[in-house]
Amino acid sequence: MGNNINRREFISLSGGFAGMAALASMGISGWGDNEAELTVDEIESKQHSCDVLVIGGGMAGLFAAIKAHDAGAKVLFVSKGRLGSSGQTPFAKGIFEYDPKNAKLTIDEFVEKVSLSAIGTNNRVYTRQLAEHSKARVDELREWGFFESPLYNKSFSKPINERQIPLMERITITNLIKENGKIAGAAGFSIDEKEVHFFNAKSVILCTGAGGFKPNGFPICDLTHDGTIMAYNIGAKVTGKEWNDGHPAKEKNAAASFDGWGDMFLQKPSTTDINIRHDLGVDMNYQAYVGGGGSMRMGPQGPNGGASVKGGPQRPAGLDNQMPGGQGSKPEGGKRPPKGKEGGAPPGMSGGVVGGSSAGMSIHKSEGLVPINDKCESNIPGLYAAGDALGSHMAGGIYTQIGSSLAGSAVQGAVAGEAAAEYSGKTEIQKLSKSKINTIQSEIFAPLKRESGYSPAWVTQTLQGIMIPNFVLYVKKESIMRAALAYVVELRESHLPYLRAKDLHELRLVHETRNMIITAEMKLKASLMRKESRCSHYRMDYPEIDHENWDAWINIFKGDNGEMLFEKQAFDSWS
Amino acid sequence: MAINNISGCIGCGVCVKTCPTDVIRLNSKGKAEIKYPEDCQICHLCRMYCPVDAITITPEKSIPVIVSWG
Repeated sequence: MGNNINRREFISLSGGFAGMAALASMGISGWGDNEAELTVDEIESKQHSCDVLVIGGGMAGLFAAIKAHDAGAKVLFVSKGRLGSSGQTPFAKGIFEYDPKNAKLTIDEFVEKVSLSAIGTNNRVYTRQLAEHSKARVDELREWGFFESPLYNKSFSKPINERQIPLMERITITNLIKENGKIAGAAGFSIDEKEVHFFNAKSVILCTGAGGFKPNGFPICDLTHDGTIMAYNIGAKVTGKEWNDGHPAKEKNAAASFDGWGDMFLQKPSTTDINIRHDLGVDMNYQAYVGGGGSMRMGPQGPNGGASVKGGPQRPAGLDNQMPGGQGSKPEGGKRPPKGKEGGAPPGMSGGVVGGSSAGMSIHKSEGLVPINDKCESNIPGLYAAGDALGSHMAGGIYTQIGSSLAGSAVQGAVAGEAAAEYSGKTEIQKLSKSKINTIQSEIFAPLKRESGYSPAWVTQTLQGIMIPNFVLYVKKESIMRAALAYVVELRESHLPYLRAKDLHELRLVHETRNMIITAEMKLKASLMRKESRCSHYRMDYPEIDHENWDAWINIFKGDNGEMLFEKQAFDSWS
Repeated sequence: MAINNISGCIGCGVCVKTCPTDVIRLNSKGKAEIKYPEDCQICHLCRMYCPVDAITITPEKSIPVIVSWG
């Protein structure tokens, strides 16, 4: 990888970003004194022990906790937010159900067609698993009352309460802990109580979702790739960072997620049938870029509502007439009312739209930990991931089946829960060493102790100014990505160590900011490495699909000296 | 503003727990208040979960909004 950049190159390439970063930080306090409202001495340390620790209270975490418990494991369930009310789960209203009795395709045909749409980027084993297991998960959800309310906390709580699975909410997990080469637990802090928690576990399942750069217009501002970065820090391999989710926001009040999606958030969930597409990559971003960023509307169009511009991302034959929200299409993966009328823009998206509402997020299920088998297991013994935290490439590098995202989280959560329970049944717990506990505790709370420093909000807005513009990660070019990378490395090296926190809310923002910056570096470097265009990864300088060199995923892992390393893994192979 | 107003709060704390981005906290009188408005993602979950319909939300963000173009 030749991602290094010298200072001269940096200066010559990056003039435009400086202005943007300055603009981005308007109205937010940057460097300043830290008026901390609590001291580190007030923090109480608590320790917990279990067989299986499930992190993340969305759809994947729900099934992971339940299936691990039902397989006989002592489970502890911890969530950054409230059960069923954090991450993307509360906003996903369509869930794919493959019912062999009335399916219009056999499972073999389904897998084949998804693979065609994904241009080979999907992992067929996980695509098949989705179809095979989806009905069983949907049946269980129905039993718990999932389909009876637009709000999921009650139906999610039912099976958890019935089993008396201990649930801890509003705990921000910051670290995974490895001892003797195996997973040993995790650590994090409460945003309500002055408490740090150490969890000693035989196995851990990350159900921490995906993430973004706290973008505007898509409800993912609590998702910052926490699980992925924690796992990367202890040696896990991660993948899928070059793909892009291409959801737009409304031009007016772009940050208003609810308003952008009309009444969809108010709807009860329902099931979706087979409907394979090639949606919500970067077609609209390309059109806006080539057309000079003119007023965009949903559906097939040129930048000013005229004929489509030439060039841009290639579509597989037979899937070439579907634009996001256009004639006969419904965007993606669980984010649309599933059985509404065909065609038309998403609810509330009828006016002008702008890109970047989900900036920093890849395609669902395509970024996260690299699975080493079909059991959602990572390369770290005892560490599993499910849902958007697992880079299963279930759908591939583009949205291929409506409702599959939510279904995939349920399916993979259950698979990981059973596998982790089985693993913990034949493993001794790895004791947490005192020195590691002390080091982690002091790292977690260091920003509270700083007398002055950068506010995480300022660093986040600066990062947004660098990463969200259309010409950085959506319509990619080597020169711009190298310039952006120089800025991101600067943030990592010279700003991350000086983040300040005055209270537990801001401490959470500090850790989220850290995770976003590492993610930005991964996304830029993976995008530089993939010298071709395919699915939701589009490079102006390499616009063609390159089957000879790039029928492969990109894995990212930490080297012995802390450097970010990259490797190719051939499609349809295991790491 | 994002979450604009909380009026008629009964102090149940559901909105505090529900908010994905930790915008709302209970104040010293045990009532919900908008403590970190700049982090609001305007998703309306707090409003939808509120048992007494006490929360009013407007679509504007309180800090500058970065988008991909425009």
